[in-house]
Amino acid sequence: MGFFDSLLTGLDEARRRLGQTLLSLLGLVLGTASIVAVLALFGGQADTTARYLAEVGGAGTIIVRDRELPVSPTPAELASKRLTLDDAMFLKERSRTLAAVSPGWTLHLRYQAPERGLSGQVVGTVPDFAVINSIRPLVGRYLSDLDVERQSRVMVLGWKYADSLFGSAPAALDQPVSLNGTLFRVVGVLEREEFYFAAWGGNALEYRNERSYIPISTAFAQFADNRRLSFLTLQAHPAHGPQVASAEVTSLLYARHGVEDFDLTGAGSGDADDAQFLMMFNFIFLIVGVVSLFTGGIVIANIMLASVVERIRELGTLMAIGATPGTIFLQMLAEVVAVTAIGGVAGLAVGTAMTSLVSKFMRLPAVVTPDIAMLGLATALAVGLLAGLYPAWRASRIAPVEALRA
Amino acid sequence: MAGDALIAATGLTKMYRMGRVEVHALRGVDLTVQAGEFAAIMGPSGSGKSTLMHILGCLDRPSTGRYVLDGADVSQMKGRQLAQVRNHKVGFVFQTFNLMPRLSVEENVALPLKYRGGIRRRDRRERALRVLDRLGLGDRIGHRPDELSGGQRQRVAIARALVGEPAILMADEPTGNLDSKAGAEVLATFDELHAAGHTIIIVTHDPNVAARAGRIIEVTDGRVVA
Repeated sequence: MGFFDSLLTGLDEARRRLGQTLLSLLGLVLGTASIVAVLALFGGQADTTARYLAEVGGAGTIIVRDRELPVSPTPAELASKRLTLDDAMFLKERSRTLAAVSPGWTLHLRYQAPERGLSGQVVGTVPDFAVINSIRPLVGRYLSDLDVERQSRVMVLGWKYADSLFGSAPAALDQPVSLNGTLFRVVGVLEREEFYFAAWGGNALEYRNERSYIPISTAFAQFADNRRLSFLTLQAHPAHGPQVASAEVTSLLYARHGVEDFDLTGAGSGDADDAQFLMMFNFIFLIVGVVSLFTGGIVIANIMLASVVERIRELGTLMAIGATPGTIFLQMLAEVVAVTAIGGVAGLAVGTAMTSLVSKFMRLPAVVTPDIAMLGLATALAVGLLAGLYPAWRASRIAPVEALRA
Repeated sequence: MAGDALIAATGLTKMYRMGRVEVHALRGVDLTVQAGEFAAIMGPSGSGKSTLMHILGCLDRPSTGRYVLDGADVSQMKGRQLAQVRNHKVGFVFQTFNLMPRLSVEENVALPLKYRGGIRRRDRRERALRVLDRLGLGDRIGHRPDELSGGQRQRVAIARALVGEPAILMADEPTGNLDSKAGAEVLATFDELHAAGHTIIIVTHDPNVAARAGRIIEVTDGRVVA
């Protein structure tokens, strides 16, 4: 009997014992389902993280930070002025590998509009900030080079603050707002920014709606007693890439400070805590899936073994009428594979349903791609094949005289 | 003469080990069966007649001795080779019929051809139907075994044994599970097959069954005594 006939006979056998077949598949179905669901969620998550990183600056972004001083700093370290607006201007002027230089100084001030007031964050920065952070005005405009040059008292409001101070975001345009008593004019209101890793995570970009931007020159002139920056964000020129740009920035800043008292990092590190939490969550799910599959495999092997014992007379009879051990082995294996294929498909269906449920109720992006479906099926089949080897071997060793057992 | 014999066994022994005890089921059997014979193997239980049947039917192998079936020495064969001998040369009929309960009559009968391989489905079906017709079961081909009477079931089993056109038909107490009427039917079938030239060996302890056979092989204490 050929392989194809064995397969058909095995399939037939599986169909004829459908109840037992389905029962043996439960673990396999659940295992496949959770693996499919996890992979789908994983995929959605990776996608989300990539989009988040693009939203906050993308892969070409370099963040420069003051390095924490050692307990006993050297004279050179003490002499350094740290990261200042002058560093930023120097980089902007001298660097050939940077596409954007965005220095910023963050402070906490009292906002007072004609009707309402609040306390909150103000960011003194430059037009490049909008380039790196891809923020867009809802009405009006963003800061201009001229604003920075003239130390204009103009302000771009985040969506939430505009809404809080004036009742509606667009209404804030051209209105006066005083910051700690100094009067500013609202020249723009930004679009509301939102980004959800997950429903329970809240808006990961909400902080951007709750602040305003003023020219950095104005900020230093009005409110500062030195020129130290709160942050310095750079965008590498695509032609050079972040590695080359980082090297250049390091050497330029070292030349000015005389000591390496700053650190350069890529964007997104530490920003995606939610994503990391989700990864862990997914990992646990994956382990559950693997354990279910393993258990499912053991269950299948056990039920197959029981079925071999139960059918010992039948199998003996097949041997007696001339079935070879190889044929019986193939036939039993084909039976398991056929059964697990059914289980794999069922698991795929359950997994897809689980994915869309989770994705709907937790507002997580997730989709079962053909790749994931194939992988789920292949895993189920592999488990079935492994689980079937031993029972099939046992079946092939049955002696034909077993046919005569009463 | 011995060279033309369908079955030529010399010095067959079979020894089992049950725990620490060695059981000598066969203690040196010489046996010759000619083509076309209808023989009955008789003997009390424990005499070794079943063991002899197993070895003659290639369900089991002798511990020592030589067994030539239809010109082929099968005493050293095992596994795949022996399975092929069973498929091609031996048709076995069991006391308990041993039909596949979930297969139809026709599928049951065609099964040996399926395991033989290389025969198309349509040909298997045709050959199964021919044998079933010959045994008067042509109107039962779509039935399941549990829809048939005992006598009918045993005749389906005989059809299954015959479908591969074996050199020899072996039956182990074929009427043991049948009432006398059904038993008579089955025995009549064996008579017809014998008349048509088939070689038949039946194991039985029923003298009425043995009386139908042209030859009685008496086994006692692992030896053929007559």
